[in-house]
Amino acid sequence: MIDIITGILTTAFLAGGVLALAALGEVLAERVGVFNLGVEGLMALGGVSAIITVTIVQNPWVGMLVAILVGLIFGMFFAFATVLLRANQTLCGLALTILGTGLAASVGRSFAGQPARASFPDVAIPYLSDIPVLGRAFFSQNLLVYVIWIILPFAINFLLFKTRHGINVRAVGENPSAADAAGIKVIAIRFWYVAAGGAFAGAGGAYLTLAFVPSWSDEITGGRGWIAVALVIFAGFRPTQAVLGALFFGVITALGFVGQARNWPVPPAFLSMMPYVFTIVFMIVPAMLAREGARRISAPAALGTPFYRDQR
Amino acid sequence: MFRIQRIPSISPLAILSSRVIAVVSALVVGGIVYSLRGFDVFDLGANVIDSSFGSEFGVQDLGLLFSPLILTGLATAITLRIGLWNIGGEGQFYLGAVFATAIGLFVQGPDWLILILMFIGGFVGGMLWILVPALARAYLQTDEIITTLLLNFVAMLLVYFLCTGPWRDPHDTVTSATARVKAEMPYLFGDLHWGLIIALLLAVLVAAMLAYTKWGYEVRLAGSNRFAAFYAGVPVRRRLIQVMLLSGGVAGIGGMLEVAGTVHHLQGGMSNNFGYLGILVAVVAGGAPIAVPAAALLMAVILNGGIVLQSYGVSTYEVLALTGLILFFVAISEQLAYYRISRPPALKAGAGA
Repeated sequence: MIDIITGILTTAFLAGGVLALAALGEVLAERVGVFNLGVEGLMALGGVSAIITVTIVQNPWVGMLVAILVGLIFGMFFAFATVLLRANQTLCGLALTILGTGLAASVGRSFAGQPARASFPDVAIPYLSDIPVLGRAFFSQNLLVYVIWIILPFAINFLLFKTRHGINVRAVGENPSAADAAGIKVIAIRFWYVAAGGAFAGAGGAYLTLAFVPSWSDEITGGRGWIAVALVIFAGFRPTQAVLGALFFGVITALGFVGQARNWPVPPAFLSMMPYVFTIVFMIVPAMLAREGARRISAPAALGTPFYRDQR
Repeated sequence: MFRIQRIPSISPLAILSSRVIAVVSALVVGGIVYSLRGFDVFDLGANVIDSSFGSEFGVQDLGLLFSPLILTGLATAITLRIGLWNIGGEGQFYLGAVFATAIGLFVQGPDWLILILMFIGGFVGGMLWILVPALARAYLQTDEIITTLLLNFVAMLLVYFLCTGPWRDPHDTVTSATARVKAEMPYLFGDLHWGLIIALLLAVLVAAMLAYTKWGYEVRLAGSNRFAAFYAGVPVRRRLIQVMLLSGGVAGIGGMLEVAGTVHHLQGGMSNNFGYLGILVAVVAGGAPIAVPAAALLMAVILNGGIVLQSYGVSTYEVLALTGLILFFVAISEQLAYYRISRPPALKAGAGA
């Protein structure tokens, strides 16, 4: 029993890590008022560029770095269209998802099905790895788990909610005109936060192909980008909650694997459906239970609306 | 010297031309990429045009891609009319195919009756697949983009389960597919079946419903301003649900026609990404159902081109990438169309420096 729980948690930290990175990036974008539906495509692009990079240099850290850069560049394209040109955010997001998925699968065709030439090695932390369950599930993993599950959520939380800069950033997402009047550079903050969100999604893709799976195949992202977008909504746009949600979905994914490995009397296809079905359930049930309008309050007020300086 | 001005409203002609420019520039970018990879782009283009329109077989193949794209495009376009995005056309298409296959395989009767039942089944299957997103949108304001999209993955897994499990044809050991559905759509010529006519008729019918009925007026009103519509006495919530169910049903009919006319059994991957490509069709058509067939024809040529160019080593994913690029350019052009570069009048008169 302990072994099963340890196994589930081990997979959950890996599978959930992909979601956590992408969701943290989406928190950044949505906090400044931009709804980025392109996460799925950015993740695919990050994943494939990481795989291609490690084929050449065989170093997962370089692969991760390239994936972050690719995510940043495509995130800048998205930000250019939505923030500078104020194009429709939904449309640009869908375009980025379709473009990214197609481009990644085209570029990665000769790499499909092969294992990654380098992946993040597991490192057992002395003493901590002896703790029951968590020792093996968390403290014996690749070093990025500490970045994803501890450093990043708290750093972003601190940045957004405990610093002056964070107040400015949130003001841009709540009321860009007021922020502009207060001298905050609305367009610049929006642009760079959305671009940074893209970098996070790219990192999520690299974590998928260099740590969790680790290999590349067509459509390997399989909707994880969309689950990340949904996560941000029911995490109330808060980084720490988003990461907890990612862990929960990591557990659900892991349960599916355990079910298949242990021959549960449920067809594997139905086990694979669980993350998607649970995402929908979690989008609907809390809204049913919540008081009228509770969800609306938590969303940044200017989410999804472009900012025109001349229309103050 | 020059001033960039944003104009509050622009003519339909400006919108149309901006869209044409966007599609053409995306194709040019695609062409540049291919020529950098050493292809003779004009040769490829001529090949695509020739194999799409140059022979009867080509026209048949094009027509077989054209009809489902009209329906999935129509599905997304309908929801755009009320300000929503159904991007779950892929899943609803599959469910329509599942229901149609179930009727085709397990109900006995004369072919014409089975076909009618399959048609109704396809419509109902697509509607059921969007029911939860529709209710959640109407009553809880749950984002329909994410819910409809996530159900695509569930539908694909369901089809995979049916084709490899309970409905698998035991005689077919090569592919995972169901047994052949006996009832077939009547054919126009060659392999091209009446589904194309049905799709075109549906596009006209939906366009007419939206343009000329009270129901359509209320839908458009709710689409342009939900609150104004509500205070004008439009049952907004009911219209939202009806529009989404109609949208899902139309995509489901696409799946039914694919089973009854083209593929003749249920199999994974049979949707050819029609659901996702339908998003492009709807957007290029500007959300207008009557313009959907034209946009669907464009998409069919691109998709057919991708299939033709497979012999050159071009993968179907490249078509998807190109689709994304076109969407991106259309989104940008939609905004840029509102800008004018003009010279201030003072300068024109030569009075200022």
